[in-house]
Amino acid sequence: MLSAADRRRPWLLLAPSLITLFVLMILPIAIMTMFSFYEFVTAGVEKQVFTTQNWHDFLTDPFYHMFLWKTVRVSAITAILCAFMGYPAAYCIAMTTYKHKWVLLLLLIVPFWISFTIRTFSWIHILGEQGVINVTLMKLGIISEPMPMLYTEGAVIMGMIHFLLPYMILNVYVAIEGIDRNLISAARTLGCTAWQAFYEVVLPLSLPGLMAGLLLCFVLAAGSYVTPQILGSTRDALFGNIIFDTIMSELNWPMGSTLSLVLLILLGAVAAIYSRYMGLSRVFKGLGG
Amino acid sequence: MSLDTSTSGFGWRAVQVFTVLVYIFMFAPILVVIVLSFNASQFGGFPMTGFSLHWYAKLMQNDSVLRAFQTSLWVAVVTSIVCSVMGILAAVALVRYEFPGKEWVNTILIAPALVPETVLGVGLLLLIRFAHQPRTLWLLVLGHIMLALPYVVLVVQARLIGVKRVYEEAAMSLGANRLQTFREITLPLIMPAIVASLLLVFTISFDNITASMFWRPSGVETMPTEILSMLKISISPEINALGTLMIVVTVGLPLLGGGLARYLAGSAR
Amino acid sequence: MKISTTKRLERLTERYLNGGMDRRTLLGLAAAAGATAGLSMRWMPQALAAVTEVRFDGWGGVVQEAIDKYAFQPYTAKTGIKVTQGTFGDENEIITKVKTANPGEYQVIHSSGVEYYKRYVDGGFNSEINEANIPNLKNVMQAMIDPFLKIAPKLSCAPYDYGTTGIAYNTTVISDAEAKEKGVALLTDPKYKGKIGGYADMETRLWYAALGTGQNPNDIKDLDAAWAKVRDNRDLVKKYWSSGAELMDLLAKGEIVVSDAWSGRVAALQQQGSPIGYLDPPGSFAWMEDMLILKGSPMTECEELVNFMLDPATAIAVAEGQNYPPSLDPTKVKLTEKIEKLPAFDPSGTMKSLTFADAVYWGDHNDEWTKQWDRISKGG
Repeated sequence: MLSAADRRRPWLLLAPSLITLFVLMILPIAIMTMFSFYEFVTAGVEKQVFTTQNWHDFLTDPFYHMFLWKTVRVSAITAILCAFMGYPAAYCIAMTTYKHKWVLLLLLIVPFWISFTIRTFSWIHILGEQGVINVTLMKLGIISEPMPMLYTEGAVIMGMIHFLLPYMILNVYVAIEGIDRNLISAARTLGCTAWQAFYEVVLPLSLPGLMAGLLLCFVLAAGSYVTPQILGSTRDALFGNIIFDTIMSELNWPMGSTLSLVLLILLGAVAAIYSRYMGLSRVFKGLGG
Repeated sequence: MSLDTSTSGFGWRAVQVFTVLVYIFMFAPILVVIVLSFNASQFGGFPMTGFSLHWYAKLMQNDSVLRAFQTSLWVAVVTSIVCSVMGILAAVALVRYEFPGKEWVNTILIAPALVPETVLGVGLLLLIRFAHQPRTLWLLVLGHIMLALPYVVLVVQARLIGVKRVYEEAAMSLGANRLQTFREITLPLIMPAIVASLLLVFTISFDNITASMFWRPSGVETMPTEILSMLKISISPEINALGTLMIVVTVGLPLLGGGLARYLAGSAR
Repeated sequence: MKISTTKRLERLTERYLNGGMDRRTLLGLAAAAGATAGLSMRWMPQALAAVTEVRFDGWGGVVQEAIDKYAFQPYTAKTGIKVTQGTFGDENEIITKVKTANPGEYQVIHSSGVEYYKRYVDGGFNSEINEANIPNLKNVMQAMIDPFLKIAPKLSCAPYDYGTTGIAYNTTVISDAEAKEKGVALLTDPKYKGKIGGYADMETRLWYAALGTGQNPNDIKDLDAAWAKVRDNRDLVKKYWSSGAELMDLLAKGEIVVSDAWSGRVAALQQQGSPIGYLDPPGSFAWMEDMLILKGSPMTECEELVNFMLDPATAIAVAEGQNYPPSLDPTKVKLTEKIEKLPAFDPSGTMKSLTFADAVYWGDHNDEWTKQWDRISKGG
């Protein structure tokens, strides 16, 4: 039987973290809920009276719906493209017999160390009018006018893939690495072709990792606003940009709170559906190692 | 039967080529930044007009960049120390003890990594406003602690599971008290995890921009927000030079730390 | 310049208060990390010296470089007071910051015109300048002082320079004749789709939309038509720029070939040898800029700085550097040939040839129109 002190100990160890998260995360979300029912008077000023105006505005204004939909669409495209690019790479890293596999793995971690801002703006040099692609194509005489690629939705998606791909690869890699190799060998001896072995054994068993990667990419993409700011035009704004502008430029705190809650509820719902089937702790398996 | 069958043939070749392309995709843009930082031209794009260190020299005289660097460094160092201590304690609790509500606690500790940073940014700002407190650098530190905590807990947890309980039990049976056991046995064993988490938090804090844009005191720039405001003005070669320096620091530091961790792990064994 | 005894006492008190704060910070630092000690020591003197510093926020780029070189550096050399500088790309940005900051955090602002001045006054951020401390004000055109006095009875700023937002075009693509003939219509010319730029600012957008629909920008009768014009322009624009430096960058690199543009920045480009022409169409958007001192600033030091900046020798050097004519009355002060050739320059000292924004008209509609523009810019 545990003594009282023994039962208390884990809670003592957890206390600093839990208190911090309560004060800095849970309490603010409660306050956010409260603010979303306050009345906006003028920039920087709100009245503490109960009103459903902000929610009403959100529900009836097509401007917000358009951006919510756009954010979901862009994030979904990003996540799916990440999967298509990340899966083969992860498969290759997991299966390779290359002696210095650790180098490949290290290179997967390195992007996490390089500033996100720098990684994002580096695309300006690739996609811009004086970027690598345009300059090369023009030198080769394939095009006479630089193609407009920067400050488009495509550039934003490209930037987000660049930032999210390592998350996807790591998640899938951990899943494939965990598969018992004997299963694959068994499938092959039973007459499966290489492709069948992959399709029947590796793919299903790595699916949880793939799903975790998709969730992570989708959530991180949907919450971003700096990438559109750097690589997109004002028209390529995402929901995060709307929130940022509402709060930081218009100083409309009640509406900003409402919009933040909308984003939280949306992404929370996605994560909840996921965790029902997969369990949330999976998501970070790739990062825990 | 060997694995060779799944790592040969045309399909496998294609996968290999594709993987190489993915790696190029991940690193080529960064290499371009590094190359362009030595461009003599006064505009940040191609073509290269010559090799020059001019932009690095200019960077060294840029007061606001230096100030932003100091700010970021300070915030990141404070954050990484405080956050690592908190996270390690939490990870020890999660790995070493069984208690009711563990699953629940785990979810809460991971939550900040899944809640959109924009929402966390707005939330903390509202809290400050609600409490009528000014925005100071400490807000930035607190915020970064929250953002990095999940990663510390995850990383340290993963390492702790590998540390066998028997060592601690042996020490205690030999008469060491809890504190001694922790200091003499557990601490050296989890030292690599501590170093890893310090570095991880440092990078997370030093690199954070999304939430920092909400939290920074007015007039204060951190390194990433400074780069962003420089970008708004022009894509100057100075930004490329700055980017290159930051890559050298943020990639060099963990590599060094990784080596150190390996060394410590070796000596602890 | 001597500082009075009361001022000295005030400084001492502030120093003491700052000292108390620093001790706390220091304790925190010491506990946090020995590694940061070296850094924190470098910070401390800055905090202690808060009163020997003046905070200035301006438009960045070549303009601020000129101000720094010809005004701030000599000022610091003369008085020992450091000028810490920040930049902004559009004035709404700094107004928002001022609104959320504590009084005294922002001090001197290079503000862009009477309509903005009104917004500071409406927000209660204006100070009261002791004009006796700025003797150089007497050289400033009365025509530039009067509009500010209409907003608040006591000046909170000193008019400093003026310029126009006209139309800049790349002469290798658009001939002077074509520019002259098309004028404002260039900004909505489908021929240049994807090659047009524009300032990401409600007032500029709506102003040019009003001109484009043949209306008076200070009394827009058909607002819907004007907004429709804003949308037309938006659909053709490659990028809305958000700072003068960005404008110069886009024009110089040829990413855009036509844009509404700030006269001084275009002049700077021309001096660098870029093939950029500049045109002030009828009704071109003119503005007078001022050095605004915010409430809560150390008044004596700020007034001293502004007075120094208005000194004819300094003001002329700055004007030549930033390419905007100074607020000095050309009938009282002999200006240089270079200044007389600057775009928008008014030799009469009456400002009658330029069209300014009606501060009351634009101020009244600011919130509503900003929201509308914000949505249009995002594709709404």
